[in-house]
Amino acid sequence: MRRGLAVYAVFAYAFLHVPLLILAVFSFNSSRFSVWQGFSLQWYRAVAADGNLLESAGNSLIIAIVATAIATIVGTLAAYGLWKPRRSGKRGSTWLSGSMYLSLVTPEIVTGASLLALFQWIFRFMNLRLGMHTVILAHVGFSLAYVVVVVLARLRSYDRTLEEAALDLGATEFGAFYRVTLPYLVPAIAAAAMLAFTVSIDDYVITSLVAGVDSQTLPMVIYAMARRGVNPALNAVSTLVVFGLGMLIILSERLRRT
Amino acid sequence: MNRRTFLIGGATAVACGRGPRLNVFNWSDYVAPDTIPNFEREFGLRVRYGTYESIPEMLAKVMSGNSGWDVIFPSAEYIQPMRDMGLLARLNHAWLPNLSNLDRQFQQPPWDPGLEWSVPYMHGSTGIVYQKNLGWSPRAWSDLWDTRLAGKLTMLDDPPEVFAACLKTLGYSLNSADPRQLKAAQQRAIAQKPLVRAYLNAEVRDQLIAGDVAAAQAWAVTAAQAIAAAPDRLAFSFPSEGFPRYADNVAILRESSRLEAAHHFIAYLLRPRVAAAIVETTRTAACNAAALPFLPEALRSDPVLYPPAEILARGEWFTPQSAASQRLRDRLWTEIKA
Amino acid sequence: MKLRNLFLTPAAALMVVTLVAPLAIVCVYSVLTRGAYGGVELPWTIENFTRLWDPVYGVIFLRSFWIAAVATAFCLVLGFPLAMFIARSGSRKNLYLSLVILPFWTSFLIRTYAWMFLLRDTGIINSALQALGIIREPLPLLYNDGAVILGLVYGFLPFMVLPLYATLERLDPSLLEAAADLGARPRDTLVRVTLPLCAPGIRAGAILVFVPCLGTYLTSDLLGGSKTVLIGNVVQNQFTAARDWPFGAALSLALMAIAMLLLFAVRKRGEELL
Repeated sequence: MRRGLAVYAVFAYAFLHVPLLILAVFSFNSSRFSVWQGFSLQWYRAVAADGNLLESAGNSLIIAIVATAIATIVGTLAAYGLWKPRRSGKRGSTWLSGSMYLSLVTPEIVTGASLLALFQWIFRFMNLRLGMHTVILAHVGFSLAYVVVVVLARLRSYDRTLEEAALDLGATEFGAFYRVTLPYLVPAIAAAAMLAFTVSIDDYVITSLVAGVDSQTLPMVIYAMARRGVNPALNAVSTLVVFGLGMLIILSERLRRT
Repeated sequence: MNRRTFLIGGATAVACGRGPRLNVFNWSDYVAPDTIPNFEREFGLRVRYGTYESIPEMLAKVMSGNSGWDVIFPSAEYIQPMRDMGLLARLNHAWLPNLSNLDRQFQQPPWDPGLEWSVPYMHGSTGIVYQKNLGWSPRAWSDLWDTRLAGKLTMLDDPPEVFAACLKTLGYSLNSADPRQLKAAQQRAIAQKPLVRAYLNAEVRDQLIAGDVAAAQAWAVTAAQAIAAAPDRLAFSFPSEGFPRYADNVAILRESSRLEAAHHFIAYLLRPRVAAAIVETTRTAACNAAALPFLPEALRSDPVLYPPAEILARGEWFTPQSAASQRLRDRLWTEIKA
Repeated sequence: MKLRNLFLTPAAALMVVTLVAPLAIVCVYSVLTRGAYGGVELPWTIENFTRLWDPVYGVIFLRSFWIAAVATAFCLVLGFPLAMFIARSGSRKNLYLSLVILPFWTSFLIRTYAWMFLLRDTGIINSALQALGIIREPLPLLYNDGAVILGLVYGFLPFMVLPLYATLERLDPSLLEAAADLGARPRDTLVRVTLPLCAPGIRAGAILVFVPCLGTYLTSDLLGGSKTVLIGNVVQNQFTAARDWPFGAALSLALMAIAMLLLFAVRKRGEELL
């Protein structure tokens, strides 16, 4: 079965990455159309020269990192809180779980439009505007449910008695959480953080509605460019992102091993 | 200190964000690469340039009255509604000396006769792009119902445009609010749907060039760009029953605290050379007549962008729809697509 | 249990601001009337809800559910072996996991355009098949429901793989060894030991895929040629071109209610998602 799994994995990864390869290949195309006409770096030069693009990429990264950090921390704590029984023995918190469910089933356009309405209403009383802060807040809002779902899934198969043992041995509640449960949760937290980062960095609908004058993000710029038709500069952008992040991942793997 | 050093120093200082600002909200792909940088250099301002893909998107942002934008580019049929909503600032013609650069037909446009609220920017029409190797030329909207085009026809994914084409085949006005006429138009759209490959907007350009699509309802801008890339294979026709015309205008938001700078920007866009540079990049038709002499011959005489007056006479401007009419159109559109 | 309440507070505050308050606004909007140019105005009305009984919306709902269900099923079938492979790959786990996520850090839009590029009549797949002589005329791979499902599966696979991986990873190998010792073949072990133990992950993944698929609109717009409208398209349209926020609010409330009903119908006691 191991061999079968490995073969399947090859095909699965090919399915996932082939479109990217095509994009990468055509990012070096000298013509802007879908017929190969020679090698050229002109699109990469165009990207490097496009200040708007670079600035929005920077915005996207900042927003994604901050929102992921906040959502992961708050979400992990919330998952633990939902899992841990109350003194009465009951578990969960109905309205918090309910609102997380709601967060998952709400279409993005509705979340975005209603957040915009809420912000505009609030801003009438305070002298504030839409900006990076509203985007980050929105991103944390919709990533939270994802983090909680992933971490809770792992918590469900966790042995409760381990914490009880720690308490019996004299640990505080927080100590039991920090020293015993948290290390167990690390893979789930990592997976949740990745999910939150992915959802944040690629979000278009909600971001475009709550973004302010100074908070254009990469998906917004890409969407505008892509609606006009094939543009190899987009290929260059996505290839750069994949390459850059790919390098980061390989680097972190190497560092972890040493 | 010589002029060059001063300019570079000024540009650097401005780039550091310490100079005054102007926030411009425009359609994407509507200026030339050096339009904004040149403006920034000359006036010592820093321009924050944002783009949108649709008017409702822009409206949602600016309706609150404190969006932060100064200059916007609404389409003609939104000028009167936005004015009624109190969103626009009255223009001060003393700060716009070169309004006379506008083409005569845009000096007193129907949506804003005194040019008190807006200045026409770019205009265009909708028509039919088709492959020359079809063997026949679609010259009327009704030609798009021809079964020879089955599976290779695209229409615009824009309810006013599709309704316009259907209404015109029936001989009605494309701004009709009559429920019977609209329902008849809807029936025509439903009859056409099996022939339609997809409903595409500007993306159809590449499919036309690649040959995937034989005929498409398209904006003149998209058509001009497609024909420029494949001149021997593609052609454009202005339908004989009549066709929609649109115009995008520059306007200033009432909430703006930088009125003078905004006016300078509009005056800057009206300059012949600036407008000509934009047209060369975007291949749109400028409302600015003074820019024409500065355009290359190929653009100036492009029949798609600058058709003769007798053809333009068949065109009809989009006008604002009442709420009831908008509701009905939307319901009919959902039924078409379902 | 003060620690528990302390841990829950930040999340609760965030949910109030980013979900509860906006949803309250949506509920209020759904009983108001459409403003002439967007926004809302009085009078109060329930007309937006009575409009929902129009059969055209029922057809759209059903089609949306069907497409979302098929896409979720494909994600499960394709994602499970992949998650298993990653969970068993020892020290390289994180690397393989990252390789699954990596494509999704580029823009969803660009990836969708890449698929359009591949599937077109003059695209690579058709050209290759024609060059190999397998087909003579190009296959209509684009602008149909199949293309939409492909796009959805491609777009939501990591949402299935990640939760599956999270549960598979902690699967105790000694359980599997015990099953083998008791004479079970690998396939039996899979069906009767592994799958039941992964049920929480499967449920989580299915929900994380199915629900967004219900509300999707970009994929059906781009890969479906905007020809068939899903419920997400209708909602999207109300908030943009149609500028009928109240009807859009009513429609999405209906959609969310149905989705919540489904969620509660499939959950098992003690195995809640949240």
